[in-house]
Amino acid sequence: MSTLNFEGSEQSEVSPVVAHYVRRPGEEPATQPTPIRAKQRMKYGQIVSALIVAVLLSMFTASQAGNANMEWGVAAQFMFHPVILGGVGVTIQLSVLAMLISIVLAFVIALMIQSQNKVASVIGRVYVWFFRGVPMLVQVLLWYNLAVLFPTIFGYSTNSLISGFSAGLIALSLAESGYMAEVIRGGMLSVPTGQMDAGMSLGLTRGEALRKIVLPQSIRVIIPPTGNQFIGMLKATSLVSVIGGSDLLTRAQLVYGQNFKILPLLIVAVLWYLILVTVASIGQHFLEKHFNVSQPGSRQARRKKQRPVITSVAVAVSGGTA
Amino acid sequence: MGAAMTNTMLKVEGVNKWLGENHVLRGVDIQVRKGEIVCVLGPSGSGKSTLLRCINHLDPVDGGVIEVAGERIGYELRGGVLYEQHERAVAKARQHIGMVFQHFNLFGNMTALENVVYGPVKILKRPRKQSVDKAEKLLALVGMSERADAYPSQLSGGQQQRVAIARALAMEPRLMMFDEPTSALDPELVGEVLTTMRKVAEEGMTMLVVTHEIGFAREVADRVVFMDQGRVLEDGPARDVLDNPRHDRTAAFLRRVR
Repeated sequence: MSTLNFEGSEQSEVSPVVAHYVRRPGEEPATQPTPIRAKQRMKYGQIVSALIVAVLLSMFTASQAGNANMEWGVAAQFMFHPVILGGVGVTIQLSVLAMLISIVLAFVIALMIQSQNKVASVIGRVYVWFFRGVPMLVQVLLWYNLAVLFPTIFGYSTNSLISGFSAGLIALSLAESGYMAEVIRGGMLSVPTGQMDAGMSLGLTRGEALRKIVLPQSIRVIIPPTGNQFIGMLKATSLVSVIGGSDLLTRAQLVYGQNFKILPLLIVAVLWYLILVTVASIGQHFLEKHFNVSQPGSRQARRKKQRPVITSVAVAVSGGTA
Repeated sequence: MGAAMTNTMLKVEGVNKWLGENHVLRGVDIQVRKGEIVCVLGPSGSGKSTLLRCINHLDPVDGGVIEVAGERIGYELRGGVLYEQHERAVAKARQHIGMVFQHFNLFGNMTALENVVYGPVKILKRPRKQSVDKAEKLLALVGMSERADAYPSQLSGGQQQRVAIARALAMEPRLMMFDEPTSALDPELVGEVLTTMRKVAEEGMTMLVVTHEIGFAREVADRVVFMDQGRVLEDGPARDVLDNPRHDRTAAFLRRVR
């Protein structure tokens, strides 16, 4: 047993990290070389930049903590003020509703653009061109001032129908739907064309194959950018403050218009937007995880009763020799 | 409907097809009788795959006639004039033509079982329970019962192709078309797919197989068709074409493939 004195020799004296690799008597000879016990190089650049950032950040904090104009007390006081909380609610409502409406519109537009019907395709492209082309702020103002063009809609006074909220909602939905249509179209194009062939060869029409086979598979690709778009939407809702949409920013402006505590209230708005965006990002993370199930790289399937992957080897072998 | 009385399952007559500037099919004639197994051989670019896509009207033909079980595919004759059929009618005709693709094309968001059940339930509107029973039998036929709940991404190429064969069979097709079913597979996985196709042949299915597997053609095919540059050069019993090719080009191709 030559392995015996191998263990007893110099190896036992070195650090315990190496001891893990020492061969035991009767074992196969170790093929693993002794690990390299090198010290990692110091990452000087990282340390220096961390120091610089720490110094600058503490200087800024120190200067602002004591800045009388910051008035942290006022910010704390208004953070959960009913007026502000109401604004947060409106912002959430506006984002969620505008996003939902825009997604529905965008699916229709994306299907139109991908359709064999050339007229539908052109209409879809023009739609995207217009609503993606005109700045959101301009669209918000356009819808709010609709009454100038159409004093009445179906016999009702336009001004009574179009409030700051509804004008904002319409504008955000339409503008967003232009972007979302392109996101959805990109998702549909990411599905291999063979899926379309397979669906049609079973007896689906082109449109059915697009809706029932391609679209469901494009969802996985569509989700991540949709999350980004939603986060963008949360922030874009602040645009409706120009027409008094009673959202978070509108309310903050309303308050500082009365008490002139401008910065503290903007800080309140900043914190609330950051909170909303953070929550949305976490939600997006879980959505992505959920929709990634049937893809390579993610081996847990949606169903719990999935058999272990090992069986695949057995089946492949028996199938090959059968 | 006239030809349905005879036992011709597939009739391809004078089919022409252009893809852009390319004249891909130049007057192709092929007939397949009920229960017959015909292998189509030929160098790449000879129009074999295009022919299959034309037969179920995934690509429309530019001239000629294609009939499956006596029914004209894609066009209908009204007052002596051919009209392209409504999409719905074409889709209905495709239900009876099974197609197996080179790259399997299993629906990626469905398990193996769901892939096989989808057609009968969603397209033929059969009851789900009955369709699942049948799908399980088909998965057993192709040797995939144990992996019924696996997603395509969790299966090997050979396993995916076997599920794809089961999916096509679930529609109870009159004709099964295979478009180079083993070309995208690792060499060690080819055998299991060919074995499965042999089983399907034994069930009496009418099959039109585009393949490079000469061994399979020799063993299983009733007839072999050799295509080159959009034309049928040879069409005859497998042994005749494979062992005594009449054309130099067939002989040259067979020498290269072997």
